[in-house]
Amino acid sequence: MAQRSENPAPVRFDDEAWEALAATTNANLCFQCGTCTAACPLAENTPLRVRQLVREAQFGETDAFLWKCMTCAECNASCPRGVDIVGLVRTLRGREWRTRNVPKGLPTLLWGMYSDGNTFHLPPKQRASWMQDVKVPGKGSTLLFVGCAASYDPRAQRIARSVAALLNLAGVEYQVMGTEEVCCGEAARSVGHDGLFRDLQQRNTEAFRKRGVERVIAISPHSFDALKAGQSANGGPEVVHYTQAIEQLLDSGKLTKGSEKGTVTYHDPCYLGRHNGVYEPPRRLLELSGLKVVEMGNSRAQALCCGGGGGRMWMETPPAERPGTRRVQEAAGTGAELLATACPYCISVFESERGSEAIPVTDVAELIAGRVKA
Amino acid sequence: MHIVVCMKVVPRPEEVKVDLATKMLDRAGARSVINSSDMNALETALAFRDAHGGKVTVLSMGPPPFEPYLRVALAVGADEAILLSDRAFGGADTLATSYTLAAGIRKIGKVDLVLCGEESSDGGTSQVPPSIAEWLNASQATYVERLVPGKHGTVHATRVLEDGKETVELSVPAVISVVVGSNEPRFLDYDRWAFAQSAKVQVWNEKELCGDPQYLGLKGSPTAVAGLREVKKAGRRRETVTVTPDEAASRIKAEIDRAKIARS
Amino acid sequence: MTATDDGGLWVYAERRGSSFTPVSLEILGKAKELSRQLSVEVTAVTVGNDGGAASELQRYGPDHVLELVHPLLAVHDGKAYAKALGTAIQKAHPSTLLLGATRNGQDLAGRLAVRLRTGLTAHVTSLELDGGRQLVGWVPGFGGGIEAGITCPEKRPQMVTVRPGVFLAPPEGSPTGDVKTVKVDLSEEDVGSRRVSFEPKGSSIDLTRADVIVVGGRGTGGNFGRIEELARRLGGEVGATRVATDAGWVDRDRMIGQTGVITRPKLVLVLGVSGAVQFTVGIDGAGTVVAVNRDPEAPIFEHADLGIVGDLGPVVESLLRSLGGA
Ligand SMILES: Cc1cc2nc3c(=O)[nH]c(=O)nc-3n(C[C@H](O)[C@H](O)[C@H](O)COP(=O)(O)OP(=O)(O)OC[C@H]3O[C@@H](n4cnc5c(N)ncnc54)[C@H](O)[C@@H]3O)c2cc1C
Ligand SMILES: Cc1cc2nc3c(=O)[nH]c(=O)nc-3n(C[C@H](O)[C@H](O)[C@H](O)COP(=O)(O)OP(=O)(O)OC[C@H]3O[C@@H](n4cnc5c(N)ncnc54)[C@H](O)[C@@H]3O)c2cc1C
Ligand code: SF4
Ligand code: SF4
Repeated sequence: MAQRSENPAPVRFDDEAWEALAATTNANLCFQCGTCTAACPLAENTPLRVRQLVREAQFGETDAFLWKCMTCAECNASCPRGVDIVGLVRTLRGREWRTRNVPKGLPTLLWGMYSDGNTFHLPPKQRASWMQDVKVPGKGSTLLFVGCAASYDPRAQRIARSVAALLNLAGVEYQVMGTEEVCCGEAARSVGHDGLFRDLQQRNTEAFRKRGVERVIAISPHSFDALKAGQSANGGPEVVHYTQAIEQLLDSGKLTKGSEKGTVTYHDPCYLGRHNGVYEPPRRLLELSGLKVVEMGNSRAQALCCGGGGGRMWMETPPAERPGTRRVQEAAGTGAELLATACPYCISVFESERGSEAIPVTDVAELIAGRVKA
Repeated sequence: MHIVVCMKVVPRPEEVKVDLATKMLDRAGARSVINSSDMNALETALAFRDAHGGKVTVLSMGPPPFEPYLRVALAVGADEAILLSDRAFGGADTLATSYTLAAGIRKIGKVDLVLCGEESSDGGTSQVPPSIAEWLNASQATYVERLVPGKHGTVHATRVLEDGKETVELSVPAVISVVVGSNEPRFLDYDRWAFAQSAKVQVWNEKELCGDPQYLGLKGSPTAVAGLREVKKAGRRRETVTVTPDEAASRIKAEIDRAKIARS
Repeated sequence: MTATDDGGLWVYAERRGSSFTPVSLEILGKAKELSRQLSVEVTAVTVGNDGGAASELQRYGPDHVLELVHPLLAVHDGKAYAKALGTAIQKAHPSTLLLGATRNGQDLAGRLAVRLRTGLTAHVTSLELDGGRQLVGWVPGFGGGIEAGITCPEKRPQMVTVRPGVFLAPPEGSPTGDVKTVKVDLSEEDVGSRRVSFEPKGSSIDLTRADVIVVGGRGTGGNFGRIEELARRLGGEVGATRVATDAGWVDRDRMIGQTGVITRPKLVLVLGVSGAVQFTVGIDGAGTVVAVNRDPEAPIFEHADLGIVGDLGPVVESLLRSLGGA
């Protein structure tokens, strides 16, 4: 599964490729201090040693456990030499596509993204099924980008409906693309397939331009991160995460505080927190409901990854290696009544890997919709 | 070996409508995809070529809008692509379709293996592959999940049957149909896009095909469509009931009995 | 050949082991029914390296049994079988040929139709006369949502393959009809394939090929003994969600879904499963989905043809009781 297929023939870099890699990731600067391994949540339960991975890359070789990485970026934050380890992982994975030495299931994932426009191989026609009876204003230059999970996954669809309800409550004008929306491409980028990532970015850029979009509100932090990267490269619209968009409504006085009592703990999704530095907006929104936010020991920049990033949603992880189980335990340990997060992948992982922990898992949008007023 | 892969472009089933008043199929609004088991056939062919050498040509019969899908096959790894396209080929049933494809294969010249999908998702008769084999007087193996070279220029094919898996030795030329899901089709190679876009997709019309006109298209088709009916709405029925356990059991039993014949 | 009715109605009786495929007997029954309406005779035809099994066929009421034999016909080969059967048909001019739509039946039929330059109607789910002497076979297409009524107006024989289970096999009676055994003229060049090995089904679990799957999720509380029993009675396999496999209730190779197995059974019974998308992508290709869940809001009901709202325990017990047997 996560292991590479048989015959892991090493891919050797030619000098030019190595120079390009060094220039984009600083991998040449690594002096093998091992801080990254100490920071990596996988070092404890899996054979991945990120220091070694960087070393092997310097020798033009590919680490056997390359695909276990969740691109959580804990290592990036810790490296004293400024090596972009996540970027290095993606590039190394890109090379494996050339020799078709990739884990089972990933080509199928990419085919789904390419021809169905989503990560589930589900019909494009069903993409708007999240809407049910939600009314969307359907005008203005703001676009709500729903993403594959919140479009198709019945659990995550509730997040999309909650975000739409909050925007409606505040009287925001926005449009959605319905069945014409296509995948943001983040999964392709995470598994190192730059070609497909750029292809999907281009399809989105064109759609945004045609619709006169100036601002994109993304529901998934993965879409947020990917669209932000793609759109700034293409000179496209501003991209924000929904927690940021709703926080602004709060500041402009369009939403007022609810009176809920109780406690909630918040899990920072890697692609919202460490990758993009969005820590406060979700917390402010939780407080808006009236609930008290209790922090876990590992929070904000130190938050433990759920395990769903880096394409890991499409690769099976042996139970003993999953950080998700540990994270739910940590959340339950705070004594909070609820575990809130702001990413559909985190929710899937926690729901699946909670084991016997009974703490309910919820998305910030779900939690505050119905608890705040206009 | 020279391997020809027959590839059909099909409408997405959930987007096809049937107009019950006119008894006509409305495919106009439906988006298309490459038939799913044909992708498994293509992967089988490419893996065979990569391991044992040779060349892979994709062949399709259909209207000009099929061409971009042939370019996708080129970008995936096929060496050449040919489209059989002419109004005279239209309205073909499986006899005429298989004749036209066989004529295309004959025109290509020396072909060792012809790989098809097990069935299409639209007509879905699964009759085309064995029919091509007869037109070419080739050997055949249908519902194959594995293909490897055998001794003395033969191939070994493992067929998935109702009661087990049968491995047969086939003389070449041979026509083989590949079961859906028997492998994981490799993804597009974006480094091949430029080649795939600029490569020449050969388009052969009736004249170039040099076939016998009596076997082509509508007039070469002995079957006729007497009617159309919608047997079930697209998607799930979504009926939910709250009943006693005994009542539930008998409802479930009825579904079991019905399902046994719903698919074979 | 053009539309004439001289040689009657032929049924291909496909041999499997020492007997025949069940669908062979089902279509023999249907042929009897049609023959009464058409006043023609029914011939059951077999292909093999020897005769011998004809007495079994005779109990299903044919007017004739024709055995086509040759040492090279011991095991099915589309090429050789099509030649053997095609030659016999060209001699006897039947108006109709029915075959079971098994994999070998379709393998043979597709080839034979070309040999005879006639029309072939594919794996029909029903078969009727159009008022006259012409058959209309209903063929499912587009994933089973639409059926086309296919006829063969001019060429003969009109060939039809029939889905297993569509018609009931007639009850066994006392033997009827004569048996004729014909040695076929065949040489090595007429054979395209030779069997090298055969691995009978059931020697390894393969959820992708199962016709019936019973899936248990977290809602089973780990009580998989009853699920296994149910699967066994239905002649199916046990499947599970990731939660159920993580709990160690079932082996990991039985996990269905995004990171497990993608299945296409005729019927799947889904018990105590919420219906997360990572699971449902593994059953979207199923023929029929029946779900039992005590939560009426469970998303699994969106993916089910029939949903039972309620506690799965008593439903499973009732179902086991009503299935009877050991
Ligand atoms: C609902 C419905 C029912 C039908 N029933 C019948 C019937 O009973 N008898 C009949 O003769 N016709 C029937 N047809 C017509 C039949 O679908 C067409 O003849 C069609 O061109 C080929 O058959 P198929 O799609 O069934 O192919 P299949 O035999 O199911 O296809 C198997 C493989 O053959 C290859 N192949 C098939 N068509 C092409 C192509 N155009 N180009 C390249 N490769 C190809 C592909 O590899 C494919 O995977 C029916 C059509 C419909 C829509
Ligand atoms: C990376 C990743 C990959 C994944 N891959 C897969 C995969 O391949 N396959 C897979 O299945 N999942 C997968 N999952 C997990 C998936 O997201 C769900 O968590 C999982 O499918 C839920 O399993 P479940 O339905 O058994 O449990 P739950 O979601 O807990 O649902 C249990 C259901 O049982 C019902 N119930 C409880 N008691 C009873 C009773 N007595 N009678 C009737 N109903 C009852 C409840 O109402 C509830 O709906 C994956 C998750 C991740 C993060
Ligand atoms: S990104 Fe996360 S999982 Fe990957 S090496 Fe760095 S710390 Fe480890
Ligand atoms: S932390 Fe940075 S410098 Fe230290 S081993 Fe890791 S990549 Fe190299």
